[in-house]
Amino acid sequence: MEDKEYISKELFEIIERYIKGNMTLKELQDINQLIELDTDFKQKVEEVKTYIHGIETQALKEKLDDFHEATKNQPNVAQKSNLIFLNFKRIAIAAAFIIGLGSIWYFSIPQNEKLYAKYYKNDPGLPTTMSSTNNFEFYSAMVKYKHGEYKSAIQSWNALVAKTPENDTLNYFIGVAHLANKNVDSAIPFLERTVQSKKDFPLINDANYYLGLAYLKEGNTELAKQFLSKSNNDLSKELILKLSD
Amino acid sequence: MRKSIHALSQTELIDALKMNNSYILKQFYTLHYKKVEALVLKNSGSTEQAKDVYQDAFITVWTHVKNDKFVPKNDTALQGYLYSIAKNKWTDILRSKAYKNSNVLNETTLTEIKDNKESTTNEQELKLKAAMAAFKNLDQPCKQLLSDFYFEKKSLKDIAQSFKIEENTARNKKYRCMQKLRNMVIAPKKERIGR
Repeated sequence: MEDKEYISKELFEIIERYIKGNMTLKELQDINQLIELDTDFKQKVEEVKTYIHGIETQALKEKLDDFHEATKNQPNVAQKSNLIFLNFKRIAIAAAFIIGLGSIWYFSIPQNEKLYAKYYKNDPGLPTTMSSTNNFEFYSAMVKYKHGEYKSAIQSWNALVAKTPENDTLNYFIGVAHLANKNVDSAIPFLERTVQSKKDFPLINDANYYLGLAYLKEGNTELAKQFLSKSNNDLSKELILKLSD
Repeated sequence: MRKSIHALSQTELIDALKMNNSYILKQFYTLHYKKVEALVLKNSGSTEQAKDVYQDAFITVWTHVKNDKFVPKNDTALQGYLYSIAKNKWTDILRSKAYKNSNVLNETTLTEIKDNKESTTNEQELKLKAAMAAFKNLDQPCKQLLSDFYFEKKSLKDIAQSFKIEENTARNKKYRCMQKLRNMVIAPKKERIGR
């Protein structure tokens, strides 16, 4: 029985010549006809083609490392553009992240701002009477405060607090003056000092309330709640309820 | 005197590549490597990866030229073709890397990728790979002879001279070497049937 896979030397050389294109027109026509009619022959042609292509490809591949040596002395080329990949999963994560951040900003900050605006009211200040002259500088600044000259009031009080840094009343009013002046960042340290005082301070509830509000405005709801809960005024309780919703 | 690659027209370059002109192949290789290396280095790759990608792309371009899959449209078409194939290959590698990293635990997607890969690697490619592997492991005299004849396109007469044998002996030797190669390609199959 004839081995179907066997290619004789003669047949092999014919196929080889066909692949290399070394055939007369007549031969080429005959072979093409044979390929069309005989699938077995066609397979053999394909097989030899694959071997020759494989030899060439592998031979070239083995030369490439040699070629590569010659590139080592070449100057480097500057590459301008980076490849940009549209990795949809990453884009989705990034988008979710941005939307998340946006939501925090959109829902949390404005909410805090709204509550702050609703609950913040300037401290009315202490009554100033012309007779109390022993604390003239303090009360003259209080007059400025009541007139809305917060900056000037803060300046005066700052001069006094430098001498008596532990003075709760001074710290408290500098704090609320900063708040009234829409300067929450500067208000917080003074109010913190006030509420940390160990002495009995008549305005401690208000100090905690304003400090809570200051943190609310800063966007720190947790600290806001913490200080509001130390204040026993009605507005504090109301605001904590709103923040807990 | 041999013509430098710069003096070749696009058709002459393609003809030279088809004829496996080693001198031109080498120039073509060295002329465009640095650009691809810069691209890979700039995009989180190493010089070793740049080399692999470039050589892979180089073989692809050469194969396309040989199979007339590439038709030049302008004078620098082939150069651009080599660069864009290398770039695409590197993009694919980066993508698959990113994909693998983000889906390590996802078994289903992993099997899907595997399946897709298997179906795109067609039978012809596997046959070619088998032929390449067989040639790689062929004994040295056979390898030299087949390489001289099929790759370098030397005549049997010249090959006979360098081997110091008769031309007819060289012809017979070539046939026997091809038989050897063929046996190496089909041997694993027979082994499997025998079991």
